[in-house]
Amino acid sequence: MARFVITFLLVLLSLFTLEMLVPVQQHVIVPFTEVLARIAAALIMPFDDTVRAAGKVLQFRDSGFAVSIEAGCNGVEATIVLIAAVVAFPATWRARLIAIVAGFFAIQALNMVRIISLFYLGDWNTEVFSWVHLYLWPTLIMLDVLIVFVLYLRYLSHHEPDRDATLAT
Amino acid sequence: MQRSQPDHLRQFLILVFALLLPFFGIWWVASALLGLPAIGFVSTLLTNWMPGVVHSLYADGSETLLMTQFGEQGGRPAPLAGSEYRFGFSVDTRIISYSLPFYSTLHFATQRTNYFNTWVWGVVILYPLMALGLVSLCLKDLMTGLGTRFLEQPGVFVPDANLIAITYQVSVLIVPTLAPVMVWLWQSRDTPLLRELLAGLSALEQR
Repeated sequence: MARFVITFLLVLLSLFTLEMLVPVQQHVIVPFTEVLARIAAALIMPFDDTVRAAGKVLQFRDSGFAVSIEAGCNGVEATIVLIAAVVAFPATWRARLIAIVAGFFAIQALNMVRIISLFYLGDWNTEVFSWVHLYLWPTLIMLDVLIVFVLYLRYLSHHEPDRDATLAT
Repeated sequence: MQRSQPDHLRQFLILVFALLLPFFGIWWVASALLGLPAIGFVSTLLTNWMPGVVHSLYADGSETLLMTQFGEQGGRPAPLAGSEYRFGFSVDTRIISYSLPFYSTLHFATQRTNYFNTWVWGVVILYPLMALGLVSLCLKDLMTGLGTRFLEQPGVFVPDANLIAITYQVSVLIVPTLAPVMVWLWQSRDTPLLRELLAGLSALEQR
């Protein structure tokens, strides 16, 4: 358990530092966040054509209300936590890779719900928006990471003979 | 007749979603009170560390105020002498203290033999992390609000601006949600939920 925690923290700090580097922000994080804004707009448009995406900003054309998807709201930090946990836990690299890819989509799916829900909540009531944005959604996203990881552990425990045999080679 | 084994994961998930909002409700109502220990500690720390810049940090109702040794003119810091108001910042302590309801939810959703003692220990572990988070929030506010008046204090060690920025990001984005999970994971390693999931881990670590 101690080795898991130490490895987890080391990988987490390394990836988080990497994410903070200016070139990584410029060439990976910001373009990725802009893609999220475009996907959110594309998902909303069939139901509400007053929405548009400009860069990482999602905006109502009629009211002018807009939200900018910033660090912490693009699911990158949550994905980093999941990657660190999966890498730190002993398993085959194939199992780890599947967990990371599946977990990434699980996190981003819920994060898309977060972005869209906050966009409408903010247009309706800024106090409710602040409460849900600052306190509730970060908790739900981390809960999502935890559930993905626990399900991954359960998968591993059901396939333990295979895992031990592979790790022993 | 054979009794089926309880599905601890399912039970945990149901309880997490059932307890999440009640715990957040209690925390919201009591958040001003819950922040007091961390506020008191950080106030003592900052006023002794940077006496030329920090005047006090205190709770004012549900708000926490960080007051500086500067006055205010037109929304900008100015010498205190001759200023009508003291320059200060409103600090949102809830942005770090919501780790408490999150931890409580995870803790009480997990089947265990002793609920209260381990919960108290978990809270005791989280408070220093909250205090560190509050220090980083205050340093970030002082840096962005006072600029060189804060960064260039003669005879006082002031962390590098990049370090303050990174510490702030980690304290706000990672620690409030990750710390409760880590504490919960450690305290729950002998619970039925995690025992079977982590059995392979201890076997592998013993090799």
